[in-house]
Amino acid sequence: MIFLKDNKKPQKNSYTQKAPLPKTAVVPLSQHIGRPAKPIVEKNSLVEENQIIAKADGLISSNIHSPVKGKVKDIKEFNHPILKHSPAVIIETDTKQEAYSSETAAKDPSQVLSLPSEKLIEAIRQAGIVGMGGATFPTAVKLTPPKKIDTLIVNGAECEPFLTCDFRIMIEHTESIIRGIEIITKILQPERVIIAVEENKKEAIKRFNSKLHTKKYSLPKAEVIVLASAYPQGAEKQLIYNTLKRKTPAGKLPFEVGAVVQNVGTCFAIYQALYLNKPLTERVVTFAGDALTEPKNLLVKTGTLVSELFSQGILEFKKGPAKVIFGGPMMGIAVPSLDFPILKGTSGVLFFTQSAIDPAPEQTCIRCGRCVDVCPMNLLPLMFAKHGKTQDKEALKDYFIEDCIECGSCAYACPAKIPLVNYIKLGKELIRKK
Amino acid sequence: MKLLVEISPHSKANYDIPYIMRQVIIALIPAITASIIIFKIRAVIVLASCIISAAVTEEVTLRIRKKPSAIKDSSAILTGILLALVLPPSLPWWAASLGAIFAVLVGKQLFGGLGQNIFNPALLGRAFLMAAYPVMLTSWTQPFTLSAVTSATPLSLWKFSHIITNTKSLFLGNVSGSLGETSAIAIIIGGLYLIIRKIADWRAPLGMFISIASISTIAYSLNPANASPLFHLFAGGAMLGMFFMVTDPVTTPVTKSGRLIFGLCVGALVMTIRFFAGLPEGVMYSILFFNAFVPLINKLTKPKSFGR
Repeated sequence: MIFLKDNKKPQKNSYTQKAPLPKTAVVPLSQHIGRPAKPIVEKNSLVEENQIIAKADGLISSNIHSPVKGKVKDIKEFNHPILKHSPAVIIETDTKQEAYSSETAAKDPSQVLSLPSEKLIEAIRQAGIVGMGGATFPTAVKLTPPKKIDTLIVNGAECEPFLTCDFRIMIEHTESIIRGIEIITKILQPERVIIAVEENKKEAIKRFNSKLHTKKYSLPKAEVIVLASAYPQGAEKQLIYNTLKRKTPAGKLPFEVGAVVQNVGTCFAIYQALYLNKPLTERVVTFAGDALTEPKNLLVKTGTLVSELFSQGILEFKKGPAKVIFGGPMMGIAVPSLDFPILKGTSGVLFFTQSAIDPAPEQTCIRCGRCVDVCPMNLLPLMFAKHGKTQDKEALKDYFIEDCIECGSCAYACPAKIPLVNYIKLGKELIRKK
Repeated sequence: MKLLVEISPHSKANYDIPYIMRQVIIALIPAITASIIIFKIRAVIVLASCIISAAVTEEVTLRIRKKPSAIKDSSAILTGILLALVLPPSLPWWAASLGAIFAVLVGKQLFGGLGQNIFNPALLGRAFLMAAYPVMLTSWTQPFTLSAVTSATPLSLWKFSHIITNTKSLFLGNVSGSLGETSAIAIIIGGLYLIIRKIADWRAPLGMFISIASISTIAYSLNPANASPLFHLFAGGAMLGMFFMVTDPVTTPVTKSGRLIFGLCVGALVMTIRFFAGLPEGVMYSILFFNAFVPLINKLTKPKSFGR
């Protein structure tokens, strides 16, 4: 675990604003782990907001809905922050569409909670909900573990610096998140619910505690566990270990140790799907970094290109950015332009000027072991650089390269500035190729 | 708009290798100061000879190897300082220089430069001088005087004359010995600075401490003539070795448990030499000996990854 400067301050207290609707929405068919969704619309099809436009292809896949009302201009390859390119449905927004459709009144909890759990899971599947912490695993699958689980862990750690989207929804939608948690407990029937929040989010901890205190929810034993503000506190296996002291075996999923982890954003999306009949087509995204005049948390339609947020004036550059990152500074992906769409799993986009990035040349390893000291998976990261250079597959495997979660702590701590994650990614690829 | 695309993480810690080396040098300031107070101009001569020769050797060899200058990383200067601190104050300047040249040339550059060497370069330099000029390396001057009268180190007095120097003198440095090994307090101040600032890891020093303290406690309880644990901790090179030699990143294990084991082994060998070998002191040999075992220790202590 490492202690990072959290850099959340300016955006932490900025209330979530609605971003303007995109003039053109670029909706990738891959916004989740698993097979891309199969489009069910064609060029020139007219689509309504929240209408399903692509269907899950198999179990590990997810439905995709149109974020706007408009006309399908094309279905073609487009920029994708994770995959570089992916087929996307490109929708021209109907100019007559109001800014955001007015919200329907929320259903009564008794109405939702009386549904059988198969119905609840089906609704979650239909709504295209995926893990919103970044892993984007289809949520409906995660809610049908092959083994009985005893603990639901709600992940509100948000350990990446700069990002505050989870913090904002935790304090702006505390009630809705708990209603979402209620639905999950209805499905999974755990004995215990843990809401895990880092200690630097005092306001969120307070709000959860006071809501839980009212006891008006039908939840099993539920409590907020306050974690140290350390990285990578929010990584699934670390979170399970730090809350339950259970070690998820290597290569295994959390249900093996009786736990399921759901991000707070996912809980909120579940609430919206069940109470408001809203599929997942928008999310809160943090926009921050020293290149912006003002950092913001925005409710953005998925498929909105980052460039549109600037052309529509909701975001503004103070200075030209030298690096733009989808995600946080530790695990995020640098993109070559602003023409990349916001996805279901995009928690933030960061804009850094030249002065904030400092490309230091790689030096020789002095075997100081700082990478070893900080590795949350108890690995020897320096060995991945050493054996990666010689492409020694056996040695890489022998040092458990496949267990690496690529959190970047080692590369962060390395005084020789060795791009360890780079070597690790290359090493894993080498092994995958066989 | 030209954007930089590179692999995560996009944030790096604000220290680098030169910073770490400089921090170690800062931590050595108390020991350097103590050596100059105790041995006056002699300490200055040995220190200057070692530092200059180490730095020049590094630059010349790098130029021959067609590598970029590394004076910025201060590691050669650090090697020079560490070597000076383990040499007797009466050593002539040319011998000190020779030791520094050997330390950097053979101890470091022949292995491939920074990060590649197996043995602690400063100690290798001393071992070379010990072999080449054994008499010079075992003649000691009295503290706080420039007179040429030789005297014995506390460990020699204990081993060969059965005289046990009092702990207070050892602690403050009012004894004969190498430049930087006399004043325990000066080394402890710098050493704690290193450990508290997390420049050095605590495991190897702890291991060495445990071995020396426990073995000497047992020996002392069997026979007070074996000298007290504090004597064994403060006399000779134990303190300098504990804080500044077994914490050298390059020549010690990378695994957490390996570092502890390394320290334990070194401490145990030090005590074995002190009690059973012909030499009065064995910190240098113990560390060099176990430097050779570092790859093996790393291999045997490879940690199981989380969840395995």
